[in-house]
Amino acid sequence: IMEHLGHEYCLKSHGKCIEGIIGGVDYSQNKVNQWTASIVEHTLTQLVKQGKPFKYIVNCAVMQKSGAGLHTANSCYWDTTTDGSCTVRWENRTMYCVVSVFAVAIAL
Amino acid sequence: MRVVNLACSLPPVPCVTPPAAPSRTLQWDTDPSVLQLQADSELGRRTHRLGPSKITQVDFLPREVVSYCKETQTPLAAHQSEDEEEEEEVTEQKAGPENDLQEEEESKDTKEGHPRELTEEEKQQVLHSEEFLIFFDRSIRVMERALAEDSNIFFDYSGRDLEEKEGDLQGGSSLSLNRLFYDEHWSKHRVITCLDWSPQLYHPLLCSLSLSHLSPVSTLLSSYFQYPELLVASYNNNEDAPHEPDGVALVWNMKFKKTTPEYIYHCQSPVVSVGFARFHPNLLVGGTYSGQIVLWDNRSHRRTPVQRTPLSAAAHTHPVYCVNVVGTQNANNLITVSTDGRMCSWNLDMLSQPQESMELVYNKSKPVAVTGMAFPTGDVNNYIVGSEEGTVYTASRHGSKAGICEMFEGHQGPVTGISCHSAVGPVDFSHLFVTSSFDWTVKLWSTKQNKPLYSFEDNADYVYDVMWSPVHPSLFAAVDGMGRLDLWNLNNDTEVPTASVTIEGAPALNRVRWAAGGKEVAVGDSEGRVWIYDVGELAVPHSEDWAHFGHTLMEIRANHGDGEEEGPVELAT
Repeated sequence: IMEHLGHEYCLKSHGKCIEGIIGGVDYSQNKVNQWTASIVEHTLTQLVKQGKPFKYIVNCAVMQKSGAGLHTANSCYWDTTTDGSCTVRWENRTMYCVVSVFAVAIAL
Repeated sequence: MRVVNLACSLPPVPCVTPPAAPSRTLQWDTDPSVLQLQADSELGRRTHRLGPSKITQVDFLPREVVSYCKETQTPLAAHQSEDEEEEEEVTEQKAGPENDLQEEEESKDTKEGHPRELTEEEKQQVLHSEEFLIFFDRSIRVMERALAEDSNIFFDYSGRDLEEKEGDLQGGSSLSLNRLFYDEHWSKHRVITCLDWSPQLYHPLLCSLSLSHLSPVSTLLSSYFQYPELLVASYNNNEDAPHEPDGVALVWNMKFKKTTPEYIYHCQSPVVSVGFARFHPNLLVGGTYSGQIVLWDNRSHRRTPVQRTPLSAAAHTHPVYCVNVVGTQNANNLITVSTDGRMCSWNLDMLSQPQESMELVYNKSKPVAVTGMAFPTGDVNNYIVGSEEGTVYTASRHGSKAGICEMFEGHQGPVTGISCHSAVGPVDFSHLFVTSSFDWTVKLWSTKQNKPLYSFEDNADYVYDVMWSPVHPSLFAAVDGMGRLDLWNLNNDTEVPTASVTIEGAPALNRVRWAAGGKEVAVGDSEGRVWIYDVGELAVPHSEDWAHFGHTLMEIRANHGDGEEEGPVELAT
């Protein structure tokens, strides 16, 4: 059940998604909102295409590299056998990007 | 902020039916857990096991910002440069520049224009990288020389050169002290045992040899010359410092005013003779008290010898006072003679055994205790040796008369120095040589006669060394144990030296060597100091000096007295 949220899948697919949207560009304040929106959209559509009975929560954070530090943490209280999450970190020369996906199984 | 409308829809999923199904009656219990349980059991669902998931953490560490408590502001607008000065720290540009000019420049620059400042790690990496270390090593040598110079190192020789030079030459015909070479650590309490100037050689390769062959010429350079400003001095052991190496050789540089040696070499046994290896510009040959010949190389960073001869009966087991490289670029040998009369010939590439060796024996009796050796100019086969008994011998390396040939008697004490006439000019005087000895005299000889031509008796102490000028036909220098450096110009006067100076402190002077150009004389004393004296006009030869010297010789012969001369003894050349 949890295979499609398996680690490699997570990294590959979400990583590719991010790469596709903000791959070779530098941080730009007027475009960053578009970016976060598209990342979330694309990630979600891809997940939904799987057709699995899950509720998804996608979170995307883009931070400019300015020397500041960023620290986040998350945890969930759910059914550990059926639910799962995946966090992908990505960066280029000028920004960091973190995408977290949570999938909660829907009871049948 | 845009509100995202997710256009996509979730696939139809059977909904959780509200608990109004006819098959089930809701028991409104106050306890929600009971409700849960009932619902579960009724629907046949397996129990949800809810538990906390692992905490997912994301960390992006902040970049370390290097901050300085002191700031300096350069007056000119300057970009923050990434290059570092060797001894300075990088200073940060002030945020609020005072200068108007600077403000303008800053406003013009976009952020992308500034070069990126290296992080601390990157700087450390650069400092330790190979290229930087090589550059640094070379640069500090240059800086040391520049710092020691008190003259203008940017001097332009195109214009004002002549004025300066003339001033120096006005110093006159007497000797004037130029430099003193002395190192606190390495020279102190050591006696100078030998000096050698780096030879000045020009070697245009005989290109005709290669043209007739189609194969490439295996031997090298069309010309090379060694650096005539380098002087090597070898030192005896330091009795006050038994832990220091016994044998030391220092290479000093005349050209720059820095007071430290250019190269420092040492070995385990006191070095009693040293010389630059002609034809091998990077090698220094040393003969030691133990009989070992050592080779130092200035290409390696080692201060100890790169090659050594074995201490065996096949080589030398007695002090080697004479080392000499003779021959030509392509065919040269190192000739060494030790005080037990053993002469060995070596190939500098292989010091593990001598190419040939022989005992120098006169008339088949006991071997000669050799204290000095000299090769006449241009001769690679015949040479002259002086012995502890005061006799001088000529010898040959090869041929039917290999070994000692003739004996020259005259000195009453051990011979300390021999020098063959070397100034090349219209008349050939290469048969002449001078010797110095403990008997307070310097004697002039010709290889054609086994009695001295003349004896110079102006000294009042052991005469430790003598050397012909390499450029002036009638000039030679001698040093004695009272600190006197004498220059004899035979065209001028044969009774007294033409110029004389007593070294400061009157130490015993052990060695004298003319520089290759014949303008300076290096003197080594018993305190470990090397004195460089400039010889002024006196050292400059004129073309008539040769003819004049010929006359002088004739006069000397005539005055010497008829009865004392024996018939000239011919020698195989």
